[in-house]
Amino acid sequence: MKRSWLENNTFHYSEFNNLNRLVEEKQRKNLKISLCLPTLNEEKTIAKEILIMKSELMTRYPLLDEIVVVDSGSTDNTRDIASEYGANVYEATEILPDLENFKGKGENLWKALYITQGDIIVYLDADIKNIHHRFAYGLLGPLLLFDDIKYVKAFYDRPIAIGKSKIRPTGGGRVTELVIRPLFSIFFPELTQILQPLSGEYAGFRELFEIIPFPIGYGVETSIILDIYEKWGLDVMAQVDLDKRIHRNQDTRALGKMSFAILQTFIRRKRKLGLIDFTEDLFDEMIQYNLVKNEYMPDIYKIEGHERPPIIEIPEYREKFKKPML
Amino acid sequence: MDVLNHNFIRLGLTRAKALQTAIRFPRETRRRFGVPKSNAFTRTIIQRHIDPLPYFSVSLIFSKHSKQLKGTVMDNHLDNLHGFVDTITSMKETIITNIVLIGQVPAPTFKEKKRTSAFMERLAEFQVDECTTDGYRNPIGIIKGTSEKKPPIFVVAHLDTIFGKDIDHYYTIKENSITGTGIMDNSVGVGVLLSLPDIFRKLNLRFESDIVLAGVIQSLGKGNLRGIRHLLKTWATPIRGAVCIESGELGRLSYYTDGMIRCEVDCSISSNNGWEFKFKPNAILILNEVINQILKLRLPQKPRSRVIIGKISGGSKHGVIAYNATLGFEIQSNSDKMVKSIFNNIKDVVEGIGHEHEVDLKLKTLSNIHAARLNFGHPLVKSTVAVMKKLNLVPISEPSESELSIFLSRKIPAVTLGITRGENYHQQNATVEIEPIFKGIAQIIGVLMALDSGGCDEA
Repeated sequence: MKRSWLENNTFHYSEFNNLNRLVEEKQRKNLKISLCLPTLNEEKTIAKEILIMKSELMTRYPLLDEIVVVDSGSTDNTRDIASEYGANVYEATEILPDLENFKGKGENLWKALYITQGDIIVYLDADIKNIHHRFAYGLLGPLLLFDDIKYVKAFYDRPIAIGKSKIRPTGGGRVTELVIRPLFSIFFPELTQILQPLSGEYAGFRELFEIIPFPIGYGVETSIILDIYEKWGLDVMAQVDLDKRIHRNQDTRALGKMSFAILQTFIRRKRKLGLIDFTEDLFDEMIQYNLVKNEYMPDIYKIEGHERPPIIEIPEYREKFKKPML
Repeated sequence: MDVLNHNFIRLGLTRAKALQTAIRFPRETRRRFGVPKSNAFTRTIIQRHIDPLPYFSVSLIFSKHSKQLKGTVMDNHLDNLHGFVDTITSMKETIITNIVLIGQVPAPTFKEKKRTSAFMERLAEFQVDECTTDGYRNPIGIIKGTSEKKPPIFVVAHLDTIFGKDIDHYYTIKENSITGTGIMDNSVGVGVLLSLPDIFRKLNLRFESDIVLAGVIQSLGKGNLRGIRHLLKTWATPIRGAVCIESGELGRLSYYTDGMIRCEVDCSISSNNGWEFKFKPNAILILNEVINQILKLRLPQKPRSRVIIGKISGGSKHGVIAYNATLGFEIQSNSDKMVKSIFNNIKDVVEGIGHEHEVDLKLKTLSNIHAARLNFGHPLVKSTVAVMKKLNLVPISEPSESELSIFLSRKIPAVTLGITRGENYHQQNATVEIEPIFKGIAQIIGVLMALDSGGCDEA
């Protein structure tokens, strides 16, 4: 196992807090950088994320060129608030409207590639309660300062909010430890060096993102890692310790659905690579049970596992970004 | 060396150049400030020549006969205030970011270290001329003034909060509000304090006095204003004046402070068993008796005096008598003598009840401050009222037991001002309005300009 990757490609955000240097590198390399926030009912946190990023990384240090919100159809005030604080706000369904519509985080990330201008795209979840500009510059640091790094993933100490007002010092990352890490250990031991493969904060060059497929749902983080690993190897990746991330806690049932989608993505990737073979098709329904009036009632949730093709295959994208026709 | 020569040499200019400039500048100055030519306007430095930015200087050096001119310049400062509001509003993102980034760091009294570090880091980022802590770990930033002779002006905001560090301090921002723990006391105040260096730059303001930005620790409750007491006690030079910043309420103008003694009464019942302890008193009921006796005290309307019963806690279970209980209260009056007299009465009450009920009843003094005030006619108060009125704010005067009291007790002219409006003041869902913040900041700058222009020096 290449132990050296963990040593060589793991950073702490404080190594990149000289923002003037990052701005200089960005300008020297003539790069544009876009920040994308995928949202679904995030009215409590979205304003803070936009505001802090805009103040610190656009007004004070011109590191970001645009902040884009791609929304999955929020029913609260997410879109209005995001517009009020100066983000470019899109409903996912408005982007490439001629394509079949899907709903999910991966869909938003994929469509963001079409509406953003950046050579580098930073993706941040929109539910971070302790948002700080280090979440963006920490991810950008390795991309700007090291020519061989093309994709950077975040990891942190992840306290989760319990109850209304108390903070528990450790915890979180349950799906990582119970699902992803065992799978990686069995199939791709080298990838276990990525400490939090499911973190929702990552950044990379457009040239990578545009040629890999995006699952529309929760499996997107896993698939991005697997695809980049398969195409370019581990050395184009890095991970950055962003210290602490506080987010909404999800209940076990929600995590079960997330695990289902991740397993689905993982198995499809393995199948595509010819590493495993199933004689029958997989089912696409997550079945959980509720006790209703002393009877166990199934709660069936369909997770179809749709996947968007590499966006470079979409003619509108090729036309907009002046890519040669396939 | 005369003042003019001294200042120009500081700016790297020769005496000859200084004289040329001195001759040239009055006309520009008169035009900008609308001063008639006949005024005794002898020497004025309006711009700092070594800096390409066209700074507004509030460092005007007047002749002895320039009272009328001071009034005129003050009027012109006032005329700039509405423009300031617009510029400050354009800095909305940075100001709110400062409020949020500092406010989300818990800082219960006596445990302010993390917030102090965050404050220092942020202040250093905004490039103040000096950034340090005093011997008590009050973080301080200094923006150097153009004069080495004028004493500094202080702007202070207390860093500590009443909330423990395990309480969620993360804020929610909506279109026109920020909600979260401590936002009303005193995250907005501290965030604005941090933003001032950048705001001064954006407004092209340069002051004659050094501006000392101090986030003071150990202010609330048992902290007993230790941070500001230490800072002022150890500050080596005279201080020209001060503005204390609180999150709310916009329109507040505090220029006097009541005498106050903050006390706690602890009641503790022996938990020993045995026949002689069979009929134990109840600590909560004992304190109830103390409260009843305090309420029976006759308090005068003049001098205005009151006892505020603010806190009570005690007991452990619903079905068990309380062995311990604590009562917290403050005695306030605009007469120190009356505060002392009421305190002595309450001391007698406590001793009497303790004796009669054979319980351990202790009266502790947590903090005290002396009554002090500026008169309403003091130039600082008058200037502040003028600034507020110019911004269409209605000044509402109320006493303050905050940092103000320590400045006033040291004969340093000072006022406490609020920055915005809000609700649920000391609760976890405290909420402030965003839009009034910008006017609140303009108000502070107006008062700083008044202090710096010398208008308040003669008191």
